[in-house]
Amino acid sequence: MNAIRLFTVARREIQRFLRIPIQTLISPWISATLYILVFGVIIGSRIDFLENIDYIDFVFPGILMLQIIAGAFGQSSTSLYFQRWTKAIEEMLTSPLSYTEMIFGYIIGALSRALIVGGGIYIIALLFTQATPEHIGLFFFYVLIVAIIFSLLGLIVGLWADKFEHLTMLQTFIITPLMYVGGVFNSIDMLPENIHWLVKLNPFFYIVDGLRFAMIGYSESPLVLGAIFLISVAIILFATVWVLFHRGWRLRS
Amino acid sequence: MNALEIKELTKKYGKAVAVDNIDLTIKKGEFFGLLGQNGAGKSTTINCITGISQFAQGSIAVMGNDVQEEYQKARISIGLSPQEFNADIFAPLEKILNFVGGYFGLDSKTRAERINEVLDRFELQEHRKKPFGKLSGGLKRRAILARALIHRPELLILDEPTAGVDVEQRHALWKYLEDLHNSGTTIILTSHYLEEVEHLCSRVAIMHNGEIIADLSKKEFTKNGDKLEDTYLKLTAKKV
Repeated sequence: MNAIRLFTVARREIQRFLRIPIQTLISPWISATLYILVFGVIIGSRIDFLENIDYIDFVFPGILMLQIIAGAFGQSSTSLYFQRWTKAIEEMLTSPLSYTEMIFGYIIGALSRALIVGGGIYIIALLFTQATPEHIGLFFFYVLIVAIIFSLLGLIVGLWADKFEHLTMLQTFIITPLMYVGGVFNSIDMLPENIHWLVKLNPFFYIVDGLRFAMIGYSESPLVLGAIFLISVAIILFATVWVLFHRGWRLRS
Repeated sequence: MNALEIKELTKKYGKAVAVDNIDLTIKKGEFFGLLGQNGAGKSTTINCITGISQFAQGSIAVMGNDVQEEYQKARISIGLSPQEFNADIFAPLEKILNFVGGYFGLDSKTRAERINEVLDRFELQEHRKKPFGKLSGGLKRRAILARALIHRPELLILDEPTAGVDVEQRHALWKYLEDLHNSGTTIILTSHYLEEVEHLCSRVAIMHNGEIIADLSKKEFTKNGDKLEDTYLKLTAKKV
């Protein structure tokens, strides 16, 4: 892997999202601020369902994860689709860039956006709560692995999409609904016992729960199993994206 | 060593055959013209050489490197100025050149030097900060040429490089291409301006319906005092 080529792709990705900061950075910060304010502070101050844990601390990991996922997914999917649409992708296809360099370049770009979005939200959260992670290593593990997974998913959608509308389909119909029912705002104990099994089938439950444990030490899922699951998904997605790039699926005519 | 060797190349889109079992060898240092009507297979052939299109039958080698097996080595030798503008319309010109230089592995100092060099050469310095989409058609064409040359390729492929370029700029470009050719760069040129091909190229091939129907030196094309255009029209009319 050539460092100049790899970091050129990453640099181009970073400059692309910095070119449109209102859409890529400020919008998620405002959105997260509203979530924190309304659910965490206004409504949360009246909720007392867990001993020793404020509701704002309970919901914050989910709110943070929502925006990290949206940032990573939006960056890679929109960038790749836009490059296909303008044919600017041919600049890369006719260059000596390897498929691995291209994919890692996109991932670094998406990670950068996710981390800047997440960092901003974290700073905003400090205005309302302590938000100090109890397990800093685990905190970064969950943030990074989830951003990687969704940047890879974004690349698949960026390849598959035929029109701009397709880019939002996964987000609207799968990611957001599964996140909302995956325990962002509620504990699994607040749900009827006969649907607990359904929640446990939702992969987003393990994502939110893992980050929540890293931040406040409270967990409702088997963490090791969740971590193994996330690492496996990242490996499978990377292999899938590599094969698609190598075959030139929707990239080369 | 040959600059380009195409053997039994066939490219299909579904059942439609775009390039039909062609063989073509271009020696290092040649200035080669590829002619043909729209849809004859010129751009498809170029796309197969440069990696924009995939192909299942035949082989292509650039500077001795197979474009599929050793694609990185092959592509480092190629500079492409495509027919269609294919750049990020929101990115400033200097950024586009910087990124493409990076894709070819040039370090930042070399990129900065080369960017200035090509911007000077194509009189684009005053436009370097402008987004690509804001440039006029002629400026875009020059910007794409500048991009193709940023890594000093051994094989330069120009697909309709003077489409939309005014007469003065076209003649300036001809002079530049002649200088480039004299300095050792192999050039493949497709153009609908036959006087351009006649002026610049030493060897010309004509494609028709995906096949190469003639591949001769310019002298042979014009041996009876005919213009290249006359011979071209005779040959393609026969096939039609």
